[in-house]
Amino acid sequence: MTWNFEDLVVKAVSHGEKLGATYVEARYHSISRSGLSARNGEIIGAEKSFSQGIAVRVIVDGSLGFASTSSLTQEDVLATVEKAYKKAKSHSKLQKKPIVFSEERLGRVTYEAAAKVKPEDVDFQEKSNYHKELWKNVSTAISQAKVATMTSFYGESLEEKIIVNTDGAYIKSRIPRLSLGYNVVVSLPSKGVIQRFFSHAASGGYELINQWNVHGYLPEDVKTFEKILLEATKPPVDTPVDVVVGSEIVGLMVHESCGHPSEADRILGREAAQAGKSFIKPNMLGERIGSEYATVIDDPTIPGSNGFYLYDDEGVPARPRYLYKNGIINEFLHNRWTASIFNTHSNAAARAMSHEGEPIVRMANTYFAPGDHTFEELIEDIKFGVYIKSYMEWNIDDERWSQRYGGLEAYLIENGELKGLVRNPVLELTTKTFYSSVDAADKNLAFYAGTCGKGEPMQGVPVWFGGPNVRVRNIKLRVIG
Amino acid sequence: MSREMLIEVGEKIKQHALKAGFEEVAVMTYSRESVMVKFANGEPSVVQNWTDRVAGVYLVKGQRILGTDIPIHNLDQVYKTIDSLLTMHEKIPPSMLYAPLPSPEKHEPLPGLVDQKLLKAIEDPSPVSEAIVESANRYKIDTFAGMVQLTYEQKCLVNSKDAQLVEDSTYLKVYLRSFAGDGSGQWSLGSRRLDMKKIEEVAETASRFAYESRRQEEYPPGKTNILLSPMVAGNFFNYIADMATASSIMMGFSIFMNKKPGERVATEKLTLLDDPRNPELPGSTSFDDEGLRTYSKPIIEKGVLSNILHNTKTASKMGGKSTGNAGMIFPRVWNINIHPGDHSFEELLAEMKEGLVVTNNWYTRLQNYIEGTFSTILRDAILIVKNGEIVGAAKKLRIADSFPRILQNIVALGKETYDMYWWEVETPTRTPYILVKEVGTSKHTA
Repeated sequence: MTWNFEDLVVKAVSHGEKLGATYVEARYHSISRSGLSARNGEIIGAEKSFSQGIAVRVIVDGSLGFASTSSLTQEDVLATVEKAYKKAKSHSKLQKKPIVFSEERLGRVTYEAAAKVKPEDVDFQEKSNYHKELWKNVSTAISQAKVATMTSFYGESLEEKIIVNTDGAYIKSRIPRLSLGYNVVVSLPSKGVIQRFFSHAASGGYELINQWNVHGYLPEDVKTFEKILLEATKPPVDTPVDVVVGSEIVGLMVHESCGHPSEADRILGREAAQAGKSFIKPNMLGERIGSEYATVIDDPTIPGSNGFYLYDDEGVPARPRYLYKNGIINEFLHNRWTASIFNTHSNAAARAMSHEGEPIVRMANTYFAPGDHTFEELIEDIKFGVYIKSYMEWNIDDERWSQRYGGLEAYLIENGELKGLVRNPVLELTTKTFYSSVDAADKNLAFYAGTCGKGEPMQGVPVWFGGPNVRVRNIKLRVIG
Repeated sequence: MSREMLIEVGEKIKQHALKAGFEEVAVMTYSRESVMVKFANGEPSVVQNWTDRVAGVYLVKGQRILGTDIPIHNLDQVYKTIDSLLTMHEKIPPSMLYAPLPSPEKHEPLPGLVDQKLLKAIEDPSPVSEAIVESANRYKIDTFAGMVQLTYEQKCLVNSKDAQLVEDSTYLKVYLRSFAGDGSGQWSLGSRRLDMKKIEEVAETASRFAYESRRQEEYPPGKTNILLSPMVAGNFFNYIADMATASSIMMGFSIFMNKKPGERVATEKLTLLDDPRNPELPGSTSFDDEGLRTYSKPIIEKGVLSNILHNTKTASKMGGKSTGNAGMIFPRVWNINIHPGDHSFEELLAEMKEGLVVTNNWYTRLQNYIEGTFSTILRDAILIVKNGEIVGAAKKLRIADSFPRILQNIVALGKETYDMYWWEVETPTRTPYILVKEVGTSKHTA
C-alpha cells in the first residue's frame, strides 16, 4: 500500500511549528469518484473525478486559522501554512477567548475499510446496463398510472486521508464507498403525481448493489405509488391518533432532533448564523427529553456504514456515543475545542468533507435503539391510528425543536391491522413530544444513507441514520394540501 | 496563476484528450484565492483561506459524454484520468443528451467584474473583520454571528471548437445574524465589490430585526397574508428559477414539467430574469461552459413563462436553442433578478393590512416538485402586522403551501431591491420585498 504526499504533510506541520504556531495540523485528503447517471434507462454520461489537496489548521495567539490548497507542490503547501498562520495572527486581536484544544491520547495507525468486490474489477458495461434494466422493470410495473420519468445515479468513491498534528496524531486511512439513487415520478393526470427520491450509500464495494436489491423492490414500490394515487384517502386530522413512525422517518428524526442538537459546537453558538443553535443548553446534561424507550446512539465504528471511521480528523479514537439514554440527555458530540470548553474529552466527532473543509463536530451513524416488539405487536393494540412508512418533505427549526415530516406511503391502522392507504399525512410535532410519546419500538433496526450538511463553506459528509419502527401515542396529524 | 498559464494548461489538457482519441473536448480551468472570516458569539471563530487550481473537463467520443473535475498541479495525473475515461467510453452507450459543441460566438467581455479594493482585502481581511465587529456592536443586541468571504477567481475555457475565453472576477459574500432577548435577525449581501457601507447595512438590518423580535407571541397557523423579505423571496426564487432549467424539467424536478413558454404561471406583477450580464451580482459571466455568449433573459415575464434555460444539449433534446446557460453537462442559472414594483415598505404593509413580515427561512423541502407542494421553516424575526403597521413579533411558524399557488397570489412588490447571497440563496438574487396573499402557514400540533 503506497501513500503519496505523506512527506508534504509532515513538512507542513514542521513548517507551522517553525513559524511559531502553538498547534499545527495537516491533512492530505483525496476523494476519487466515478459514476454515471441515466434518465429513463438511457445513459446521460459518465465521470471520473478527483478532489485532492492539503488542509492546514493552526492556532496562533489563541486564534484559529485554516488554509487549504489543491496545488501539491512543496512551495504551495508551505505558502498555505503561512497563509493560515498570518491570517490567524492578524485576527488574534479580535479574539475574546483563546482557542484551546483538550488533551487526548491520539492515534498513530493505518487502517482501511474493505470492499469485498472492488468496483474497478466490475465491468463498466454492467454498471451501465443496470440502469437500462431498472427502467425496463420500473416502467412496465404499472398500467393505469404512468412512470413519467426516472432518473438514476450510480457512484463509487475512495477517500484517503493522512492526518498529522503537533500533538502526536499520525493517521492514515482509506475508505471505499458506493452509492445508488433514483428519482421516480408516477403520474395519473386525474389524480396527481407521486414522487420518490431515495439514495442508498455505504462503505464497501460492488457487493452492495445486490444487497440493496433496487431491481427487486422498486417495481413493487411503484405499484404502491399507483395505488396511492388510485385509492388513498385523507388521513385522520381532527383528533389525536396513535402513530407508528416508520424506521425511515425515525432515522431522519434522530439525526435531526437528537444528533444535531447534541453537537457541542452548535450548543456553544459556533454555527449560529448557519445551521443555527440548539434547544439543548450547556447545562442540560442529565435532563429528561423522552420516555425510557428513547435511546439514541451515534456510532462511527459500525462496519460497512456510510459514516464509518475509526479515528476522527483530529486523531481521536472513535467510539459509540450515547446521546439520549433511556430518555435522558446523556452526552454531547465533541471535538477537541468543545471538549476543552466543557472540561471533558473529545469523543471523536471532528470530521471534514474534503481538503477544503475544517474538521468540525459531525455525526457519523445515528440510530434509535431497537426495542423488543415485532411489527405486529407494535400495532396490535392500536384501535385507530396511522402507520407512516416513508416521507418526502421534511424540515426542522434551527434549534431542532419543531419538526415536520410529510408522509409518502402511509396506512390506516384499525383494530390492530393495517388497512387502506392514506395520502399525504403530516407528522408535525416538537422534539420533546416525539421522544416523550414513544411507548414501544420494534426489533427491526434499519439504516438509511444521507449526506449531512453543516459548516461554512457547507460541508456534506456521508452518514447513516436509522432506527426501528416506533409507536407514539395521541398525536394530531396534519395533511398536505 | 497568470491568465497565460491557465490558457496553456487548458490547451495542454485539450490537446492530450484529442490526441488520445476524443472527438470533442472542453476544458474549464479555474484559479481561485478566497478568504473567509467566520464569526460566532461576537468574535472570529476561524479564518479560512483557499487556494484552488482545478479543471472541469468535458469529453466526447462516439456521442458518449464523459467528464472529470480534477486538480491541475500535476498534468500527468490529469492525462492518466483522461486515458482511463477513454477506456470507459467503450462500455457505455451514446448519451441521450448528446449534441455537438456549438461554434464559438464573438466574445463580448463583461467589464467591471474585478474590484481592486476587494482583491487587496483578500491578502489581509482583518480591517474588514474589525469593521464588522464594530458595526454589529453599534446596536442593542446581545451578540452576533456570521461570516464574510472575499474571493478572486480566474476562469478560462478552451474547447475543440477553438474557443479560448478568459474572465477574472471578484466577489463578496457576507451574512450576519444578530441576537437580542428571544429575538434574532439575519441579513445578507452578495456583490462583486467591497463596499463597507453596504456591509454595515447588513449588520444594521440584522440587528434591527433582532431587536424588533426580542419579545414574541403565538400567532395562529392558517391562511395569512405574508410579506416575503428579500431573504425569503431569494430562497423561493432560487428553487423556482432552477425549476426553469431544462434538466430540472427533464428529470422530474420542476413545476414547469407540464408547462410551455407562453403559458401564464404567475400574476402579471412578476417578472423574473436570469441575469448573467448584471456585473454587480456575483454570478455574472460573459460566456457559458460551451463558450456561448451569455445574455439576460426573462424566465417569467409579467406572469408568463418566457424561457426554459438551455444549453446546446438540452435545447437539441427538447427543441429550441441554447440560452447561454451551459454548465459542463446541464444548464444552470447565473443570477436571479426580480423586477421591482412601485410600493414603499410602508405601502406594502398598508396593502397587506393584516398578516406577517417573514424575514428569513431555511429547510425548504418539497413533497412533490411537479406539483410544487412544499414547506419551509421560518427563522429569525416574524413581524406581526395589524391595520398596516408592525405591532409585534410571532413565534416560529412554517409556510406550507405550493409554489404555483404562491406565484398566482403575488399582490405587490417593493420598489427597492436587495442583493441576497447566503446558505439558502445559493444563486445570487436581486429582489424586492414581495407581498403574497393567503399563504398557508403551519405549526407543530403538540
